[in-house]
Amino acid sequence: MIDQLIEIFVRLQGWLLEHLVQPPLLALGFGSYLELAFDGIEFFLCGVLQISAAYLLLRPLETWKPIEVWPDRKAVRVDVIYTLLDRLGVVPLAVFALLAPLFVAIDGWLRFHGYIPWQIEDLIPALESRPLLSFFVYLVILDFAEYWRHRLSHTWRWWWALHAIHHSQRQMTLWTDSRNHWFDDLSNGFWFAIVALLVGVPPGQFVGLLMVVRTIENLSHLNARLSFGRFGEHVLVSPRYHRWHHALALPAERRFRYGCNFAVLFPIWDRIFGTQYMARALPPTGIEEGPAALTHADSGYWRQQWEGIRGLVAALRPQRVALASEPASISAERSAKAERSEQTEGSHA
Amino acid sequence: MTFPHLLRRPAWLAALLAGLNFPVYAGLAIALNSGDGTISLIDTETYQVTGTATVCKEPHHLLPTPDDKSLIVACAAANQLVFFDPASGREQKRIRDVSDPYHLGYSPDRKWFVVNSLRLDRVDLYDPVDFRLKARLPAPRTPSHMAFDNASEFVFITLQDSNEVMAIHLGTQKVAWVMPVGKTPAGIVMAPDNRHLLVACMGDGVVEVIEWRFQKSVKKVPTDTAAHNLQPKGDGRHFYVSNRSINGSISLFDSKTMSVVEKYEVPGGPDDMIVRADGKEIWATARFARKVQVIDLVSKKLKQSIPVGSSPHGVFFLNHAGLR
Repeated sequence: MIDQLIEIFVRLQGWLLEHLVQPPLLALGFGSYLELAFDGIEFFLCGVLQISAAYLLLRPLETWKPIEVWPDRKAVRVDVIYTLLDRLGVVPLAVFALLAPLFVAIDGWLRFHGYIPWQIEDLIPALESRPLLSFFVYLVILDFAEYWRHRLSHTWRWWWALHAIHHSQRQMTLWTDSRNHWFDDLSNGFWFAIVALLVGVPPGQFVGLLMVVRTIENLSHLNARLSFGRFGEHVLVSPRYHRWHHALALPAERRFRYGCNFAVLFPIWDRIFGTQYMARALPPTGIEEGPAALTHADSGYWRQQWEGIRGLVAALRPQRVALASEPASISAERSAKAERSEQTEGSHA
Repeated sequence: MTFPHLLRRPAWLAALLAGLNFPVYAGLAIALNSGDGTISLIDTETYQVTGTATVCKEPHHLLPTPDDKSLIVACAAANQLVFFDPASGREQKRIRDVSDPYHLGYSPDRKWFVVNSLRLDRVDLYDPVDFRLKARLPAPRTPSHMAFDNASEFVFITLQDSNEVMAIHLGTQKVAWVMPVGKTPAGIVMAPDNRHLLVACMGDGVVEVIEWRFQKSVKKVPTDTAAHNLQPKGDGRHFYVSNRSINGSISLFDSKTMSVVEKYEVPGGPDDMIVRADGKEIWATARFARKVQVIDLVSKKLKQSIPVGSSPHGVFFLNHAGLR
């Protein structure tokens, strides 16, 4: 059965390569990108499958036990566009095209000067014959790196100006995971490439597991009253856990001034580094301060991209400019609202 | 023990036949699955995959040592060369810190071991005994396959993305010349006359014939879409050309008349090939179909499609018709 499904998948992948991708590549003299294009088609088809799985599995949960019910879902539509562009490969392809030459040049320069970048398998050779274990070791390392990338994107003003778009959504759903400014995606790609240079690239054969990981990331943004249980909430980032990361009003303590619950997959990083906030409440989401908070929330795709660039320019100016969504402006007032929110758990459902 | 059982014990048979100074038919084919990081072990009698082993990240090309006692697998993303016993498929050793090995070659005089780094635009020259790096040369862009002249004076490298062939003088370890060829050159071999280089140009679907001493292109012979790689038939005259598209094919190229004389339909993007010593079969990895295709050269038809892993690239068995 699985073999037959793989056969159908590979045939479709081949058909798309033969009829849609190969002719223009060969005609334009890009024949050496055929293998990459073949992998790209696999990414696209996996994206179709992953989005379908996420929709079929998760959307019913949002309908069945919603945290929030909105008069209309207009604000959600833009997140669907973000998701399609991300999961079907448009944004990743652009990021790859921009960053690959730079990192190939860096990698090449290092090797030309006698330094071959280190890989985790050099430290633990046993991983070479245990690909599944190797995959999970890389997953943990990359999730650790993701924690810090995410935390810095809330701490550094220029990065927050971009990342604020992700947080501006007040109708957070399974589609919100991919709602990112292009420059935010580029920064994320840059971060990942540096990590790959430092520890190596993970084994590439676990496409199915990667799809599961991406579905978990969709799940964490779900608009559904879903609990992973007392133990599970500490093991894997749940919708409740991540909702506090997106809360309109953050917890009161100073350690949460830039946010809380930065972990992407494993909450353990927040626990270790003091940014974990566990509560039963399910707060409303979005950004409250600044004129762009609402603009981001309600505007379309291109407007959000433009607002992100404006915010970035403003953040990079030496003088202090009132930013739409500055992390330092998370105030005591917001914290107080967090407490109120907790007290009124479920009142907005 | 019956004879068929004996055939399935390749090490026994190899030892026996080697002792008799008889062509060895070890019965084991090894295919590299570059996407999975695995090797598939295939019984060449039953065409069944008898085992799969995880090897390293991105195993692409392979090369037997001159004594045929080892098969060297180039693991590009792992910076390693992994040595296997080609008769049993057992791993023998690993050499680490070989930077991004993609395509490999021994010079005919066995004085050089050359490694192309396709991703990082570089060619490395190693001592073939201790694998110490002797020279590292920039090779923009994307050095793909290699060939040598009979005197081992030069190694010729196809540069896929700059549409060129580069010659490196092995004595001085310096680039001797670079010349333009057709679009996206990949496979390259020296013709038996030691006068012409044959270059498979994917972008043009041709084999370009070069008189290398004069750096002159003398002919472009159309084969099929995405002409990619060349493999000797073993008769000192003909070469098989893999045309790597989904509805792909393998052409038989006559290096005497510089023309295509036969063509076989081979679906799935045929890439690397190897010909059985008796000339009855050619095996090709089907890069876009997760298969190794076996073509019966008597009936000129696809005989077997063996399911392997993702993006299969190199393929080898001991009982081959020759590699150059």
